Amino acid sequence: MATKKTIAIIGATEKSGEAIATSLATGKNRLLLMAGDAERLDALKAKLETASASAEVDTITCSKEACWEADIIIIANPHEAATEIADKIREVATGKIVITLSSPESSAAEELQTLLPYSKVINSPGTAFIDDYKLYSLDGRPMDEIHTRW
Amino acid sequence: MFEQLTQSIRQKTTLSNAEEETLKKFFIPKKLRKRQYVLNAGDVCQYIIFVEKGLLRSFHDDASGHEQVVQFAAEGWWISDMNSFFSGDDAAYNIEALEDSELLLLTKPAMDELMEQLPKIERYYRLLMQNNIVALQRRVIASLSYTAEEKYVKLMDSCPDIINRAPLQYIASYLGITPETLSRIRKQVSTSR
Repeated sequence: MATKKTIAIIGATEKSGEAIATSLATGKNRLLLMAGDAERLDALKAKLETASASAEVDTITCSKEACWEADIIIIANPHEAATEIADKIREVATGKIVITLSSPESSAAEELQTLLPYSKVINSPGTAFIDDYKLYSLDGRPMDEIHTRW
Repeated sequence: MFEQLTQSIRQKTTLSNAEEETLKKFFIPKKLRKRQYVLNAGDVCQYIIFVEKGLLRSFHDDASGHEQVVQFAAEGWWISDMNSFFSGDDAAYNIEALEDSELLLLTKPAMDELMEQLPKIERYYRLLMQNNIVALQRRVIASLSYTAEEKYVKLMDSCPDIINRAPLQYIASYLGITPETLSRIRKQVSTSR
């Protein structure tokens, strides 16, 4: 039985953050939603729990704490204040996978990788217009869980 | 974040500041809330776990749902499912946080790389393993031939802290006695000391 992982979503109230939270809130893993606005976070948590009874969702407003608890880190808004975020989370993101949600043309992932040399930064492409964000594995299968062996 | 780890290593070998900085990069810092699991039986154990803060227990669930506590780990202690970690077999144990905890996780590839880069760490682990084997031998004898009172006193002398922090049902399970027997012994021991 796979051990439940904690997936932190930094910028969970962003459009892409919310979309990926929705697709991952199946209860297979625990979601830790992080954003600056506690009220919007609570609203999102309530929405996810209503949509799926088995969803395991917590909220937090500190990015460092979120990444410290996380096994996997998803950054929904990698363009904004990348240096600032990286400085906050660098120590506690050592050895962890960091997934950025940005378009394929963007260099946000490469920039973040330079700022987080001891993490593994991967970009998962999407666009700013998507409503329905899903993660796909390399062979095209939809994923609602993320594997950490890299 | 690394105070307990560096202290533990310094007890057995010396590290320069540069070596200490190198060492830190190999560990994954992980916060675990009370009642969260870092390992489920049936999964493959990816980490050996060092406790910076907090308290964990490892336990085995038998077919009838009876839980057997195998080990506790408080600050400065290591814990893992060793067989699963080294062989890749499914883990037989679950590892759960009994308090909010701060852990440092070491994967097998990271451990191998660390030993290569810092050979002194090989010595540290060798000494840890030595102590571990001695402790396990003592525990086997205690399990097989000590009375319930003797087992309790042995635990109280070696880790009084654990007795105050872990739920008594888990202490009882660890000692291989019933919670009722444990209650009785605790009363006896506290009146006689």
